[in-house]
Amino acid sequence: MTILNNKPKEKIYGLMGNINLTTNNTNISIVTSYKFGSTVKDYLNSPKDISSLKMVYLNETYLSKKIEELSESEIKKVNLAKTLITNPKIIVLNYFEKGLTNKEQKDYQRLFKKLSNDYHKTILIYTNDISFIWNLTKEIIYVDKNEVINTYSSDDVPSINIPPIKEFITLIRNKNINIDDYKETSDLLKAIYRIKESNNEISN
Amino acid sequence: MTTLFTINNKEIKDINTTILHTSDFNYLKDIQEYLNNNCAVITKENIAYLDCSPAILSIFNSEYLISKKDYTLIDKIKINILNNLNDNKKIYVFFNVLTYLDTNFKTILINYLKEKNKVIINYSTDIEETLLLDYLIVLQNNTIIMEGNYKEILKEEKILKKLGFNLPFILELSLGLKYYNLTNDLYYDNESLVNYLWK
Repeated sequence: MTILNNKPKEKIYGLMGNINLTTNNTNISIVTSYKFGSTVKDYLNSPKDISSLKMVYLNETYLSKKIEELSESEIKKVNLAKTLITNPKIIVLNYFEKGLTNKEQKDYQRLFKKLSNDYHKTILIYTNDISFIWNLTKEIIYVDKNEVINTYSSDDVPSINIPPIKEFITLIRNKNINIDDYKETSDLLKAIYRIKESNNEISN
Repeated sequence: MTTLFTINNKEIKDINTTILHTSDFNYLKDIQEYLNNNCAVITKENIAYLDCSPAILSIFNSEYLISKKDYTLIDKIKINILNNLNDNKKIYVFFNVLTYLDTNFKTILINYLKEKNKVIINYSTDIEETLLLDYLIVLQNNTIIMEGNYKEILKEEKILKKLGFNLPFILELSLGLKYYNLTNDLYYDNESLVNYLWK
């Protein structure tokens, strides 16, 4: 994978843009919704099967399940468990957050941090959703036609999927109101309150 | 609202509907049922080649797909959608695909289908997508937890939280602003709320 050439390892990176992810490097594992043709136990095929399932927030009841009994998200989670067993240096998540609830997305963000900090993995998260990665990494690699175009900070990355909070802040600025960038609704709420309060003080 | 048919215990009505589901929901059975009911079914699977009219490509600003060879997943999803628009189906069902699309394409798609009086059914785990369509069914695994007009269902913050969902951004913000007495009403789109706050 040429995307990570010259990049420090054991960190989390975002990856956005136009690319088909492939690798033949055994140190790299791309986690997808690959449909394995067996039970989860046979697919994982390891004494570490239960512990790896637990790491990805599944439990041992999944071992006996067949692929057709699993949802697409569960298949991705099992594939992540398989990746943890094979223990590559670099883990690439391919739209992993799709199909997860908000709570699960938070859980997996914590897991990716843990894999990077405690297990010294390099994590590359390919997504079109900047809000999924902006609290995980400051470095987002932007690609087009399999070529790295640039590396951006999570505040500056050109995104065609603008998160609602960013869109809202842009609309406020269009009203000639000065407001900082916020990533959390609660922080934006406080900022709006402060602006409205200071307007009231001025008008009073 | 008229019930069009029933799919795995879910009454599908002639109203644009989001089916918000938890991540353990396996929709393979539903796909087959919709196909049996002559619906246009859009998934991420089985996309081979572009087969749609130049007019549709132009409406969706997707002419670039004609010359492109190495399709990405998002290109494939767009092709699947565009190909299906050629068919004169009454019901369009999307299985967790809108979340992959850029905002512009998604907006054009929803407006296009609404203008053509199609019924849209959107399966999703993305809470923001519940604001796109009028009716909302919430599923946990295969069981309906609640259903109704989306504004009514989104008032059930505690139930949604329990299932793992936040409120959509704009609703969470307008609830906060209401708490601070900065608004009296709830808002469901960014522009209306900004225009209310800074007339």
